[in-house]
Amino acid sequence: MHHAWIRVGRALRAALLCALALLFLVPFYLLVRNGLATEADITAPDWTFFPRHVQWSNLTEVFTDPSLPLGHALLNSTLIALSTTLGTVLLASLAGYGLARIPYRGAGVVFSAILGTLMVPAAVTFVPSFVLVSSLGWISTLRGLVIPTLFSAFACFIFRQYFLGFPRELEDAARVDGLGYWRTYWRIVVPNSRPVFAAVSTIVFIGAWNAFLWPLVIGQDQEAWTVQVALSTFTTAQNLNLHELFVAAAVSIAPLVVVFLLLQRYIVAGVERSGIDD
Amino acid sequence: MTAPTAEALPDGQGARGAAERRRRTPGAGFFGPQRRSLWFWIFVGPFALGLALFTYVPLAWSVYLSFFDAHNTVTPTDFVGLGNYTSMLTDGAFLSSLGTFALFTLFIVPATYALSLALAVMVNRLRVAQAFFRSVFFLPTACSYVVAALIWKLSLFSGVRFGLANTVLGWFGADQTAWLSTTHPPWYWLVIVTVRLWLQAGFYMILFLAGLQRISPQLYEAAAVDGARPGWQTFRHITFPQLRATSVAVVLLLVINAFQAFDEFYNLLSDARGYPPYARPPLVYLYYTALGREQNLGLGSAGAVILALIIAVATVVQARWLGLGRKED
Amino acid sequence: MTDTGTGIGRRGLLAATGGLALTGLLAACGSNTGRGGGGSGPGISQWYHQYGEPGVERAVKRYADSYKKARVTVQWRPGDYDRQTAAALLTDSGPDVFEVNGPTLDQIRGGQVVDLTAEIEPVKDDFNQAVLAPKIWQDRIWGISQTVDTQVLYYRKSLLKDAGVEPPRTLDALVDAARKLTTAQTKGLFLGNDGGAGVLGGTPLFAAGLGLVTEDGKVGFDDPAAARTLGKIRRLYADKSLLLGAPTDWSDPAAFLQELTAMQWSGLWALPQIQQTFGDDFGVLPFPADGPHGTPAVPVGAYASAVSARSPRKAEAKAFASWLWIERTDLQQDFALSYGFHIPARTSLAKKAARLRTGAAADAVRYATDHGYAEPLRWTTASRTAYQDALSRVIKDGADPESELRTVVRKVDAELARVRKR
Repeated sequence: MHHAWIRVGRALRAALLCALALLFLVPFYLLVRNGLATEADITAPDWTFFPRHVQWSNLTEVFTDPSLPLGHALLNSTLIALSTTLGTVLLASLAGYGLARIPYRGAGVVFSAILGTLMVPAAVTFVPSFVLVSSLGWISTLRGLVIPTLFSAFACFIFRQYFLGFPRELEDAARVDGLGYWRTYWRIVVPNSRPVFAAVSTIVFIGAWNAFLWPLVIGQDQEAWTVQVALSTFTTAQNLNLHELFVAAAVSIAPLVVVFLLLQRYIVAGVERSGIDD
Repeated sequence: MTAPTAEALPDGQGARGAAERRRRTPGAGFFGPQRRSLWFWIFVGPFALGLALFTYVPLAWSVYLSFFDAHNTVTPTDFVGLGNYTSMLTDGAFLSSLGTFALFTLFIVPATYALSLALAVMVNRLRVAQAFFRSVFFLPTACSYVVAALIWKLSLFSGVRFGLANTVLGWFGADQTAWLSTTHPPWYWLVIVTVRLWLQAGFYMILFLAGLQRISPQLYEAAAVDGARPGWQTFRHITFPQLRATSVAVVLLLVINAFQAFDEFYNLLSDARGYPPYARPPLVYLYYTALGREQNLGLGSAGAVILALIIAVATVVQARWLGLGRKED
Repeated sequence: MTDTGTGIGRRGLLAATGGLALTGLLAACGSNTGRGGGGSGPGISQWYHQYGEPGVERAVKRYADSYKKARVTVQWRPGDYDRQTAAALLTDSGPDVFEVNGPTLDQIRGGQVVDLTAEIEPVKDDFNQAVLAPKIWQDRIWGISQTVDTQVLYYRKSLLKDAGVEPPRTLDALVDAARKLTTAQTKGLFLGNDGGAGVLGGTPLFAAGLGLVTEDGKVGFDDPAAARTLGKIRRLYADKSLLLGAPTDWSDPAAFLQELTAMQWSGLWALPQIQQTFGDDFGVLPFPADGPHGTPAVPVGAYASAVSARSPRKAEAKAFASWLWIERTDLQQDFALSYGFHIPARTSLAKKAARLRTGAAADAVRYATDHGYAEPLRWTTASRTAYQDALSRVIKDGADPESELRTVVRKVDAELARVRKR
């Protein structure tokens, strides 16, 4: 009797999970369906589960349409996401280590000042930030798109929390070998902290790739558009080409989806071991 | 990699043991206070400087602008005192945007929390295809709000006959619904919150999965011995309390993200002519006031300062609340 | 070995090199994107918003290339163009010459655009006076009208006939017709995805015989008739006669072409596409009159060419703007008539335009001449936003038009007072 109930429960749970998984996949299905359809198929009054005429040419069309600079935008997004990730992780990990391990009278104040910025969402200061960046002459430059976003209090916080729990013995051994803070950090701490670096890098990379408000405000020239800005602009454009838009959207998420499917195990392990949730 | 990592040590021992050892280490003078502060600033300085420049300077500038009539200029001369603040605080549109914001946060935080926890618990119990389900739920994290909004607006919840939702409802004979344009009932909320749920649930599910895997199986065994039935009882008395740390982190992240809500609103509801007066969170409203065609930078800054104050108070209250929870450990 | 802290080992060096490489990468990225540097002659950048009609982009680039006195780089800008220019004008990275849905009063008052009176004065009388008026502030002219745009109500003759509906001449008739034309697959009327608040703007007020701002700078719709008329727009929505949530907005004829709607409010620019699809099976109407003092109404407006006050080459920019938009009438004619349909801003050109003398196009031009109204300069963005919000609430939420309008009148009063001072 008891066993039967457990089995029913398990079956129900499996059914629920499958239903949820299907729901979660619907948007991806729509992306592919509409991306490979003709305009007429998309707007047809009768729904077809898969386009009547699969148009692989949509893929090439979207890269050759001069009004949608997708290739260039992908390049911009890649450059921005890579340099943001590199810079953020470098700056935040150094700061996190300093705050966690170098005894300094003012460390508490500095840490509070850093944490305080978490209360001020970056977006609240976007007007003066925009003005500041423009007065530096950084509008529509990758500099302007990247540098102001490098200082993530959140990443710094995670690194500090992680380094607080880093085994002191390893560092002490390094000291005995005559290494200072700098070399201890690079030779001992960093190589032994790969999971947290992997996890923070992934989160920062996703954030940078998908960022919208800042690139929208700063990347004004078409040459400085990221993929997100290009897509958003074309969603509100005067004359809309649905199949092109969907195939462009599919292309824009493809790199991250591939990375996710390939590296998922490591990302999950990184999140699990980084102590982000502690 | 063979070198031991933090996980190799029992919790907390690293930090505490270290502090004691530091006092005892001979030759600590090599790391005298002066040299230490130099190194502190070498490590922390670049980050702190950048943060000051790109967060505190704009904040100060925002406060300055908020006391001026700054139409189409950032170097205003027309001092208006608290004028911008009074007009912002008596502006029905701004107040209603704060209401929108509160409503949105109050719904999306618990909803995402519940959904991601439920997904984690269910996926965690799976014996087969666990990786598959984890991938499916995690994959939306790779999407941006822009892409998701595009799918939602133009295909899933498109208001015309070829939108998926309308097609499915059409099979049951229902009328077409203009999901984003209908205010009675406010169907647009369905569109907005499902975007965020779909995008976020998977990421928090991973955090919960990590937390679940750290719960010692012995706790469950002990509970079974005590006669607790698997299912709700075990969840309430073992799983949920054991996930306290994860829960605190998830709630914190969810609230921070809700504060930043802009992308899906803007991409779902704005058009070439502007933005409708409903579902307009403060960031969108300020964006149009200050950076839109109106270019009223003084008024926009006053709104930003008010918003920052509200968020600061909310965060302090929240930290108190969560912090108190911490002390019970 | 006492000083352990400062030694930079191999790893440290590697890290430092990494940091340098990052800096280098950023520096490389930072090089000015897009703006042409170098080359011979002064460089001027010119901005356009994205026109929907094919061929316009190539045409404006051709005009720019044929200008010999300076090297002009055209930037074609899709998306929220007004916001982009407004933000760019705060900085030095903005355009030199740009088309603008304005310039707005605050752009003029804020000294962001250059006085073009001297350039335009000799041919001032040849410009369409209705659209030139909002470019004038304190007797100076701040923008050169490029073309006259207007909006009309497109309707499918055959669909109306099938439903036994006459082309509506009053607002009541329009409400009636839209209801009768609505079927399961096709809606009666498309006023944009927001239900009309955005595109209609002041049009219903003019149709009721009112206005936005009076000659002497007072609120133009502080009148019970305003609430009555707006209430009828609400009727359209409440009857479920309006198409909502279409993939493209009112400015694009796609919804009309895909038969998602039997009538659509759209721009004159959409006419060629509609003609191509439906031949003679369509007609155009002005927004129908309402009430005893009512009159049919169509909005007219003009993108104007303006010169940024922040331009480092103001003289060259002014020279180019006046060459293109004042001197070269042949290019102006090409721009207005060869791609979509726009009425030339110069009366002399408009009279010559053969394409505008027949069929629906001729009707539309007549409406623009007889019933056209332009938004006054004093109708600021803040006023427009307040009014649009109210209109949206009236239409969608069924809010009481009278009390909504009272709030708007207060707000507009305050705005008018603000621009009066100084």
